[in-house]
Amino acid sequence: MFSKILVANRGEIAVRIIRACREMGIQTVAVYSEADKDALHAMLADEAVCIGPAASSGSYLNMEQILSATVITKADAIHPGFGFLSENSRFAKLCEQCNITFIGPSGDIIDRMGNKSEARKTMMEAGVPVVPGTKEPVFTAEEGLSFAKEIGFPVMIKASSGGGGKGMRVAANEEEFLAHFQSAQLESVKSFSDDAMYIEKYVNHPKHVEFQILADKHGNVVHIGERDCSIQRRHQKVLEESPCVAIDENLRRKMGETAVRAAKAVGYENAGTIEFLLDADKNFYFMEMNTRIQVEHPVTEMVSGLDLIKEQIRIAAGEPLSVAQDDIHLSGHAIECRINAENPQKHFMPCPGKITNLHLPGGNGVRVDTHIYTDYVVPPYYDSMLLKLIVHGKDRDEAISKMRSALGELIIEGIDTNLAFQYEILNHEVFENGDTNTGFIPDYFPQYGE
Amino acid sequence: MLRNMFKKTYTKLEPERKSPEEGRQPEIPEGLWRKCNKCRKPIYVDDVKQNFYVCPKCGGYFRVHAYRRIEMVIDEGTFEEWDKEMPFANPLNFPGYEKKTAAVKEKTNLSEAIVTGKGKINGLDTVIGVCDSRFFMSSMGSIVGEKITRAVERATEQKLSVILFACSGGARMQEGMVSLMQMAKTSAAIKKHHEAGLLYITYLTDPTTGGVTASFGMLGDVILAEPGALIGFAGPRVIEQTIRQKLPEGFQRAEFLLEHGFIDKIVERKDCKSTLAKILLLHNPEAAMAADAEKKAEASDRKETVSVMAEEVSGKRGKEEKSSRRKRRKDAEADFTGFEKTEEGKKPASAWDCVLLSRRNDRPTARDYIQSLFDEFMEFHGDRYFGDDGAIVGGVALFHGIPVTVIGQQKGRNTKENLKTNFGMPSPEGYRKALRLMRQAEKFGRPIICFVDTPGAFCGMEAEERGQGEAIARNLFEMSDMKVPILSVVIGEGGSGGALAMAMANEVWMLENSIYSILSPEGFASILWKDSTKAPDAAKVMKITAKDLKKLGIIEEIIPEEEPAVLENLETLTGIMSEKLTGFLDSMKTMSGEEIAEARYQRFRKIGA
Repeated sequence: MFSKILVANRGEIAVRIIRACREMGIQTVAVYSEADKDALHAMLADEAVCIGPAASSGSYLNMEQILSATVITKADAIHPGFGFLSENSRFAKLCEQCNITFIGPSGDIIDRMGNKSEARKTMMEAGVPVVPGTKEPVFTAEEGLSFAKEIGFPVMIKASSGGGGKGMRVAANEEEFLAHFQSAQLESVKSFSDDAMYIEKYVNHPKHVEFQILADKHGNVVHIGERDCSIQRRHQKVLEESPCVAIDENLRRKMGETAVRAAKAVGYENAGTIEFLLDADKNFYFMEMNTRIQVEHPVTEMVSGLDLIKEQIRIAAGEPLSVAQDDIHLSGHAIECRINAENPQKHFMPCPGKITNLHLPGGNGVRVDTHIYTDYVVPPYYDSMLLKLIVHGKDRDEAISKMRSALGELIIEGIDTNLAFQYEILNHEVFENGDTNTGFIPDYFPQYGE
Repeated sequence: MLRNMFKKTYTKLEPERKSPEEGRQPEIPEGLWRKCNKCRKPIYVDDVKQNFYVCPKCGGYFRVHAYRRIEMVIDEGTFEEWDKEMPFANPLNFPGYEKKTAAVKEKTNLSEAIVTGKGKINGLDTVIGVCDSRFFMSSMGSIVGEKITRAVERATEQKLSVILFACSGGARMQEGMVSLMQMAKTSAAIKKHHEAGLLYITYLTDPTTGGVTASFGMLGDVILAEPGALIGFAGPRVIEQTIRQKLPEGFQRAEFLLEHGFIDKIVERKDCKSTLAKILLLHNPEAAMAADAEKKAEASDRKETVSVMAEEVSGKRGKEEKSSRRKRRKDAEADFTGFEKTEEGKKPASAWDCVLLSRRNDRPTARDYIQSLFDEFMEFHGDRYFGDDGAIVGGVALFHGIPVTVIGQQKGRNTKENLKTNFGMPSPEGYRKALRLMRQAEKFGRPIICFVDTPGAFCGMEAEERGQGEAIARNLFEMSDMKVPILSVVIGEGGSGGALAMAMANEVWMLENSIYSILSPEGFASILWKDSTKAPDAAKVMKITAKDLKKLGIIEEIIPEEEPAVLENLETLTGIMSEKLTGFLDSMKTMSGEEIAEARYQRFRKIGA
């Protein structure tokens, strides 16, 4: 086991990791930027090293500084958390070169899963269903159209080099296809100087369901059920829950086994997440794999009783998984709300500033993961997430009631938050019925869509 | 505040925990990263190698070892080294020189400060020499001089181009006057290579100073340089000590030399190979023709998508630019009064209309014609004396696979561009740049195409100081007997001697709405009638339109303008020009150089009394 771990992150996840280490009797080193000298993670850790200026490019993304801090403090492992360097294969490889354990998969696996088309190919080879689409790029509308007819409309036209929605169009029929193909390709040519296009089946308003997996160095891979992350605003998750109401025991087993197969196919190690699209007919398709711990991991912890961060650390230290698949029993229902420093009335503009008054909810089945405290000044340089409020009830109804109550008890003064927006979601009839998909916020809260 | 308030926990649990593998201490391995000596930031050695030895953080250039440079530039497996081992010489019996040389050889694994040989760049043969700064700062001793001379001589024999990557502190002190003589020796060999009509390219890297600058470094037909490279004769420290002044920032850097007309182009290291390959291609008519044919075949393969896309791209671009263009046209029309009155589906007729039309700022400029008519245009800069004139754009391009030299007088579309192009009014350095490029065209047997569009040569103190009159005269003098075809096309204003200095051609063509005149109608009116407002009347009597001049036998062809030329109908105009140009070049094909020059002589000889 490690004697000292450096946490290469900030905010609530850094606090979360430090707490796990404290419980495990592992010393911790926090790194912080000049803007974070009063941050909770820096005060909670046994040691803290300032690694650079406020801008994350100079601090939390500065690999040399973080590696140097690790060497100086003689930490033997780095936990990258999420965001920042967590999916940077370069960093993972550098850690290895410096005799430092990177708590996560190897750089090669990060690379393989980070490359969307390669990940897709790997999954297809492993028999994991993927959204039907062209295997090779297409260059002309005619080529694309014949393929589109084969898989059936609606289809998604995607630029091979695309990103940020550029070169991406949905076509519902043949006419639309011809028009959209040209414009998407043109956009791609102009933005990326690339006319290679892909055609994919368009899954309309799917549920975003992801499976948590754990894999150790000894070839053991387990899944710990799913999380429904369909409540998203512009591809940002807002609220997550586990289990997903649309998944029954059979489907869970099937999807879980698929996730395990996917993880085994790439020789995965450590904690990871397989994201699926689940359509209304319960067909599921592999979307991508996240090679790190995720923001919403607590809902899985609440229903499984496992501590995923501790598992990550144990796996990285070479220990076998503490559980086998049969030992994993999910009970009750958990919901997580992300509370951000942002103003929904002003297009979710981030609202950094000083927290003048803070009251956190508590009680049975209520968990708060946060780094904020009274008089803490939220810096403007980083992600606006302040706090994760997680509740666990015996069933979904209880969890929803508990979350409403806890949200009502949560008081953050001095800065704007999205608390009221979360409340609105919780109180929405469609949400209550569990009839949600990725179209939930755009459909029912169009005022917040843009 | 919570600082120092949290209780520690780790000592309470299993106090003697140990790392799983003893002795596996975290450490940063030697050489994983280094500090950039320019930005002082840590950089990964691997990244630097991947990035052509350029700092990924600050873009600073590191010096490159000779063999690495060859790897970067020469096609894999095609390099054949020449004269690798040469017997050591110590002409002055300089004490300790042999010992020091042996030590440097040992340390660098080099036999001398330059590596020479032959190889291919994108399949085209060339002789190459690369200096290595690790060896006595790549100073030119007798072996360096000898290796260069031999390489150049062999290139002359084998009719190959030569590319030399210069980097040097200058002459090698330990060899005294013998070293100095290498400047003469190498220059003389290059002259012979030049006389054989062969291409010589130098690529100046940091630092190129002293005797190397003052010999083979500055003699390239094409002189390229790496960004930020120090290039000069006297080193900056020596200059500072001599004049007892601090030199300004950027003095003697590649950018400074470009501005002062001594280099053709600054080429980033990553583009080095592709640029050299393109220059070789432009100087190799067979390869250029083959590449052109290949490109056309490829284009026809994917013609459909490309044409559709090109159309859309231009359509989109058109839309974006339309509003500003419309505004420009409006501005232009404000002082253009004749057009509206005469318009009845009919083109403008009066000379004054042509004057106004030829000056409109939405009229295509030389660059537009060059881009539309030719492929693979590569611009070259500088007159090699004083500066690089933005009013003249010139370089080499392909016309249906035929290498041609193209030179144009360039106007700007807005104030910013016009600051650069001086409103299309060339200075002496512009005419000298044009002449330099024309001489090269003659050397390599390329036709010369000139685009004339100037209100006149620049009237200014500086222009006179540097000999505006001499520059124009020199062009007329030299162009008169050039042994390659020269064609000049007046695309806008052909203002006086400033225009003629680029129109001493076998044929002169004019766009229908362009003008070609002894001076501006305003100037004419003010000299003759002491009233510049009578310019419209002056335009009429001066006989400056294409039609009038054709009647006078001053020009050969008129390129019709259905509508006044603008970017939107540029393709139509260049389509006509392209066809006529093919005809022109065909007609010259059968003529010898002397005949071409004689025809030009006779063309001007017969004008006038």
